Amino acid sequence: MRAPSRLLGAAIGAALALSLSGCGSSAPEGTGQVKLTLWHNSADPAPLLEMYKKFEKQSGHKIELVSIPSDGFEDTTQTKWATGDRPDILEYHATTSGLLALNPAENLRDLTGEAYIARSGDLYQSAGSVNGKVYAAITGFPQVFGLYYNKKVFTAAGLTPPTNFAELAAACPTLKAAGVTPVFESGGSIWPVQILPILYLAGANQSNAYGKAIAGHSSTLADAGSPFVAGLTAYAKLKADGCFNKDIVTAKFEDSMKALVTGKAAMVAQHSDMLPALLAAAGGDQKTVDESVGFVGLSSDKPLATYAPGPIGTFYLPKTGDAAREKASLDFVRFMTGPAYAEYVTASKTFPVFKDVPNPQGVSSVLQDVKKAYDTGAVIAFNSDIPGMGGLAQLMSELIAGQKDPQKAATQLQGQVEQAAKAAGLPGW
Amino acid sequence: MVMRNRAAWLPWALPAIVLVTVFFVAPFLLNVRFAFSSWTSFRAEITWNGLENVRTLIDQDLLANAVTVTVLYAILCMAIQNTVSLSLALALQRTSGINTVFRSAFFLPTLISPLAAGYIWRGLLAPDGAINSFLGVEWAWLGEPSTALVVVAFIDAWKWSGLITLVYIAGLNSIPKSLLESAKVDGAGPWTRFRRVVFPLLAPALTFNVAVTLVGALSAYDVIAATTGGGPGDHTRALNVVMRQQWGQGFFGSASALGFTVTLLVIATAVPLVWWLRRREVTG
Repeated sequence: MRAPSRLLGAAIGAALALSLSGCGSSAPEGTGQVKLTLWHNSADPAPLLEMYKKFEKQSGHKIELVSIPSDGFEDTTQTKWATGDRPDILEYHATTSGLLALNPAENLRDLTGEAYIARSGDLYQSAGSVNGKVYAAITGFPQVFGLYYNKKVFTAAGLTPPTNFAELAAACPTLKAAGVTPVFESGGSIWPVQILPILYLAGANQSNAYGKAIAGHSSTLADAGSPFVAGLTAYAKLKADGCFNKDIVTAKFEDSMKALVTGKAAMVAQHSDMLPALLAAAGGDQKTVDESVGFVGLSSDKPLATYAPGPIGTFYLPKTGDAAREKASLDFVRFMTGPAYAEYVTASKTFPVFKDVPNPQGVSSVLQDVKKAYDTGAVIAFNSDIPGMGGLAQLMSELIAGQKDPQKAATQLQGQVEQAAKAAGLPGW
Repeated sequence: MVMRNRAAWLPWALPAIVLVTVFFVAPFLLNVRFAFSSWTSFRAEITWNGLENVRTLIDQDLLANAVTVTVLYAILCMAIQNTVSLSLALALQRTSGINTVFRSAFFLPTLISPLAAGYIWRGLLAPDGAINSFLGVEWAWLGEPSTALVVVAFIDAWKWSGLITLVYIAGLNSIPKSLLESAKVDGAGPWTRFRRVVFPLLAPALTFNVAVTLVGALSAYDVIAATTGGGPGDHTRALNVVMRQQWGQGFFGSASALGFTVTLLVIATAVPLVWWLRRREVTG
């Protein structure tokens, strides 16, 4: 019986050694090269993925990509995060509300003082930072929210794209009479249906006034006649007037892109990071997109676009306690924000966030529309600094289903904001 | 051989006791405290906060609806699965070549991932999907409050009925043929034979199937997530769907409270149900 026992012991020992070696992420000893884990959004465009490869090539480090589906991105990231699992690099939202949910003081490395921050203008005044400490490295141009519209449909109907909600409501009957869905909403994907109310609120949120009032608890979402309730009411009216697609509850985001490109729908409220999806809906044909799709800003009463720093290309460095990997992950941030960044801008044809990097050439016309809307008056999304706003999309689903009226939805969301603000220890709560 | 000494049973029960303790009881006891804690992603400290999480869920109109949806969904799943499976079992009871083919065909969905099954059905049931084209109607089966929950329960039934059918077939085949023949000689027709002989003797299979389908549906998540995501509105927002949403927003304490509610619901439903069904097996 001794030999089998020894064999069993050796087998268990070997299995333990193998499993333990699998736990560490260090690459071969003595090379100074390590394996870094990067949790990234599955919607990362190809040029960004190419940058990860370039970093591997330049540094010798390995990057293990853990793809988080963009549908349910926040939920999935939070679920993984809650287990205590930490990547070396995390791609996530740069909004204050998104950042607070990561408990940055406890979990993230302070990047204040890194060279890219001074090159980013006042970007970190409203994003990627909490209590004066910068935690994010933002490389992606902010998501610009507005209305994508089908140029051919509008031309055929003799209309100009709306830039406020009154014009939007007025355009509906004409577009419907032309046999086109005026606005395509995709409640089946849940998150897109919160965009129109957020656009509406840009009018009340210049200089982030409304967002600050809610986050600072000097106003509530449910105040009588509040801009938020007005936004939901305007949305409910559009629905009652038949401005949306019949399958609003089940339609997916991809359906909305296809409907827009093919001209079945006149407008879709979306943001600029969804341009690759728009291109995919056009079968990858940029010419089709440029010929048929345009973009405008829209708010309650003014032609304002809304922006929010997005997750694509926003990186955080969680504390891991492993000196070699922490050094390598900081190298990654310096690489992404360093000289290679200009190559990324050129390859991705997106606009740079660093003032010393020139705009790319050959930018698509729809992206030029986005930039124009951003440059001529963009307001930060009112919910960027308010924690606990994650339930807005779910409440919109209930509003669409007729289960909640705007006032009741606002009261319920205010409860969630209170729950999060108290948990985050925000002043005023 | 009758083992009168209780201690003599212990070695046989010990492996099961250890497994249940290590994999179910201990994790449950270790985690239940989080349901009464202030655990969120916003701060590191986790403190005892009593029933605050439950109060929050009630204040936000989340708990009552989720419990109602969950119970309703579980009853629907249990009723549909057992009705369909028992009918299939009666049709496919005899072992023959063609029946084996059908048994395999009906069992196949059990092997498919619930998420994949959900996505496939979502496509088929879309307003412009194959089912509406076939029926010549335009109906958002998963988007209309009146049909969403029932349709999702049917999808769950489609997914699991093959397995439940096998249990019923095993139960049917364990009924002595002599009893059925005696009943026939006594003049009992097919319906009387089923009602008076087959159904009472199927009691053990019924106990297992009812308990499994009901308890399984109480902890439903995957098929709902893949088909409706809890919508339209909150019409299919079962406890585990809300738990996932709370978790996703970083409210881990509230999410744990919802998880605890599912456990309580399972215990409160399954224990008396199984007790009653077992008693029925004895008393007929």
